[in-house]
Amino acid sequence: MHNREKLKSLLVDVFLLEPAEFRFDMTREEVPTWDSLGVVSMAVGIHQTFGYHFTPEEALAIQGVPDIMKLLETKGISFDA
Amino acid sequence: MHILFDSEVTADPSLLARCWQGEETFALVPEKSGGSNDWIADKLNCLPDEHRRSRFVLLTSGSTGEPKLIVGLRERSEALVRALHELQQSEPAAETIVTLPLTYSYAFVNQWLWATVFKRRLVVTHGFRQPDLLRASLQQARDAMLCLVGIQVPLLDQNFSNEAFPGVLRVHFAGGRFPHEQLHAIRRLFPNARIFNNYGCAEAMPRLTLRPAEDAQEAANIGRPLPGIELNTSDTGELLFRSPYRAVGVVDRCGFMEITPDMWIGTGDLGSAVGDGTWRLTGRANEVFKRYGEKISLPLLLSTVLRNWSGQAAFYREMDAKGEEGHALMLTPHPSETQVRTILKAFAAEFGRAHWPLRLESVSEMPLLPNGKVNVAALAKITDKSLHWYQR
Repeated sequence: MHNREKLKSLLVDVFLLEPAEFRFDMTREEVPTWDSLGVVSMAVGIHQTFGYHFTPEEALAIQGVPDIMKLLETKGISFDA
Repeated sequence: MHILFDSEVTADPSLLARCWQGEETFALVPEKSGGSNDWIADKLNCLPDEHRRSRFVLLTSGSTGEPKLIVGLRERSEALVRALHELQQSEPAAETIVTLPLTYSYAFVNQWLWATVFKRRLVVTHGFRQPDLLRASLQQARDAMLCLVGIQVPLLDQNFSNEAFPGVLRVHFAGGRFPHEQLHAIRRLFPNARIFNNYGCAEAMPRLTLRPAEDAQEAANIGRPLPGIELNTSDTGELLFRSPYRAVGVVDRCGFMEITPDMWIGTGDLGSAVGDGTWRLTGRANEVFKRYGEKISLPLLLSTVLRNWSGQAAFYREMDAKGEEGHALMLTPHPSETQVRTILKAFAAEFGRAHWPLRLESVSEMPLLPNGKVNVAALAKITDKSLHWYQR
């Protein structure tokens, strides 16, 4: 599975989204289930899926899906289509 | 003291009648109980002399799984049966169909003793262990009274989904959460029946309150106390009672404890007065806990599940990876992916993430205690289960 699909599958599962409503430009404000415990679950899921462990500061600074992708790309994880 | 086992009385209920008429105190226990035969015999030896006559003893494991013997006084239970007969308007009922073990205080008092006192027919089935026999008994029912526990409703629906049993006049529920969400299915199955929510506990031997189903719009409402019964709450919110029908004592691992008339006895449930004379349950004392600072009520969460799931459901508790108290949800039968999403979306819509289960799992068959309740202690130990979702 491509990294984009892996990320989508993870976030749909963690935030209980419908696959059809997911967008790669979604912001945290658009996702009611992206609460503080959701940040923890998302960080655990990123570690399990991509092997990178967000620092607490990184996880809290994320404001949407683009931030996740940008951060992971700086760690060498590519989201090229 | 004579010990009767449930298979003996199921095969020949007259054994029970003979013990009831005899002077000596007797015990009625399930074969598979939390206590061995030696343990039961040893504990019966703890009974003071005055309790060795005219009493009966039932074994209960409760939700904690720790067995204890409850000692009842026969004349009190007969008085309770007469009071229930009036309150439940049971006079038109000519028979009662038993689907639960007679060792269960609910079935023992509401059905066997009622049939004995009022000389009504007792129809003993093996419940859903033999659904064909149960179906035949329900089809042949003539003005019958039925005592069920809520967890049997999905089984009724699965086994008899396209049938109706017009010969059943009364359907009682006790022994757990009232199946309010499934009332439409119950009314379809039993179109001529009045439906009641009964509430009590083994120490009450067993009834405390009663509510016709139509008198409340929520499962948690248990109705009004029976005449003569007082309800109260402890400082921690536990529902307490005093009852003229109560058990006379309890024997547990600590020995015999007499229940005196002035004692407020804990039910193990949390509850509160509604204000109109009725009471409502807010959970088992061990079903409400804190998680990440939030008060988690498993009964409340179960309500959400059952609004979105027609099968059986139960929670069991465990620690999460961070050492915080949490809970897992077990379903039966196995749900589809769409059903899993529906339940999870309902959690997301109604509760913060701290309330969501750590995992959503399913098994082909829910482990049950002899009294028909879910064996919560066994849920965590099941290895042959399906994992549908988990919180990371």
